[in-house]
Amino acid sequence: MKPQEIIRCLSTFLLLLAVSAFTANASAEVVVIVSAKSPVTSLTAEQTAKIFLGKTSEFPDDSDAVPIDQPVGSEIRNEFYTKVVHKNTSQLSAYWAKIIFTGDGRPPDILDGDAAVRRAVAKNPNAIGYIDKTSVNRTVRVILAP
Amino acid sequence: MAIRYYLIVLLGFYACLANAETTQSSYPKVTFGGFGTLGVNHSTMYYGDYTLDSTIPKGSAFSDNWSTTNDTRIAGHVAANFNPKVSGVLQVVAEYNAEGTYQPEIEWANVKYAFSPDAYIRIGRIAVPTFMQSDNRDVGYTYVWVHPPIEVYRQLAITHSDGVDAMYRFEVGESMNTVKAILYGENTLERETSKSDSKDMWGIFDTTEYGATTMHFSYQERLSATINSAGVTGPWIRNSDLSLGIQYDPGNWFVISEWLQRKTTTKISAMYVSGGYRINKFTPYMTYAQNSPGSFLPGFPPPSQGTITRTNRAQSAVSLGVRWDFMKNTDFKFEYDQVKLSDSSNGFLANIPTGVILYGAKFHVISAVVDFVF
Repeated sequence: MKPQEIIRCLSTFLLLLAVSAFTANASAEVVVIVSAKSPVTSLTAEQTAKIFLGKTSEFPDDSDAVPIDQPVGSEIRNEFYTKVVHKNTSQLSAYWAKIIFTGDGRPPDILDGDAAVRRAVAKNPNAIGYIDKTSVNRTVRVILAP
Repeated sequence: MAIRYYLIVLLGFYACLANAETTQSSYPKVTFGGFGTLGVNHSTMYYGDYTLDSTIPKGSAFSDNWSTTNDTRIAGHVAANFNPKVSGVLQVVAEYNAEGTYQPEIEWANVKYAFSPDAYIRIGRIAVPTFMQSDNRDVGYTYVWVHPPIEVYRQLAITHSDGVDAMYRFEVGESMNTVKAILYGENTLERETSKSDSKDMWGIFDTTEYGATTMHFSYQERLSATINSAGVTGPWIRNSDLSLGIQYDPGNWFVISEWLQRKTTTKISAMYVSGGYRINKFTPYMTYAQNSPGSFLPGFPPPSQGTITRTNRAQSAVSLGVRWDFMKNTDFKFEYDQVKLSDSSNGFLANIPTGVILYGAKFHVISAVVDFVF
């Protein structure tokens, strides 16, 4: 390998490293959303965790709550469960195994990606989801920014 | 007796399936799943078998140097939601049983009617939620240990009852309260050379969750009788079991402790305390568990020396283990137990040759399991 090629190689590598470091920083902004039509204006992390763990099926104002999850293994999901529910991936899958195999419930339905979650939440005043802060628009309301 | 419950369950399923077409298009929702454990263990006590409960006819190390009978099992689970109010569960488990085979058996088969998401009534074969991990004791993936401490969990070999139960869940301030009641239940427990029948079972079970703290209370009564190998049914004896449990799990670490007082013709108490720390995919843990000798209660004929010896199963154990979540929906666990038999007790060891006395002996057990859910 010639010296120039090594330098080009190295600089490409450094650039990639810088880009990945930048994206890693930028992607750590999960927010919890409801429809703009929902009367709910804010929730605590504990209240949100109860809804996503199936420990309650209602918002604090007694209206029905329908949680929408993101795919297992996705970065936004890991972010949400670490920050809001304080459970890592394996703790969460052990938790749901217990609920499923005791016949006590099912995990929330999953939609793939912020856009799909936002659309579903916007349409349903009972829905609650989580997306990246940058994906928020006027159809949904942020009720928790952990 | 149990047959009639299956009939009710099957009729319920049929009625709901027949109905399903007229309701919303998303029903019935049917989900399949399963779980299992591959486990092996070795004990240094060659004069008896280290078995998890009284239905398992053999283990290590008297019968086999290394044994898979304690923890190995596979199970299938079907849940069907016929409409928002009616659902059913069928769970079939294959594990080493009294006949010495892995013949699958129906662990649960029940139909649930939910009045709301927070209240239901069930009929059929139902889990008995005596302890904090009773409902899920077969699902190794759901807890940190290789198996729940045997000094406590072994005291109640009955894991399900055929009958009716109800649940009501409500919030008090920040805490969530789940009350379950067994309104009626019966059970038949097969052992290698005998059977144990239970009837007139009822119980009340309460779980309170407040932040990272969970508390559990249970009280249950039933009548039980032993049917010996000749088919002769013994006297019906009242069983009453009271248990309390507390768990604190803020996320990175946990402590859990449970206590049981069991009364039949004798009174026995048992407890354990366990704690662990989660470091990424590893959860090292430590457990201390013990059970007391049985003290004979007044009002029954004075026990013979043989009965006194058989009844005293007092032992204690210190366990060190680690759970490793090495891949999705799968874990590996390793546990070391140091078991100490009390004075005048052969503990829970099975198949001890006649005349062998192991009072006060100490021995070591190592176990390794892989748990999975699918």
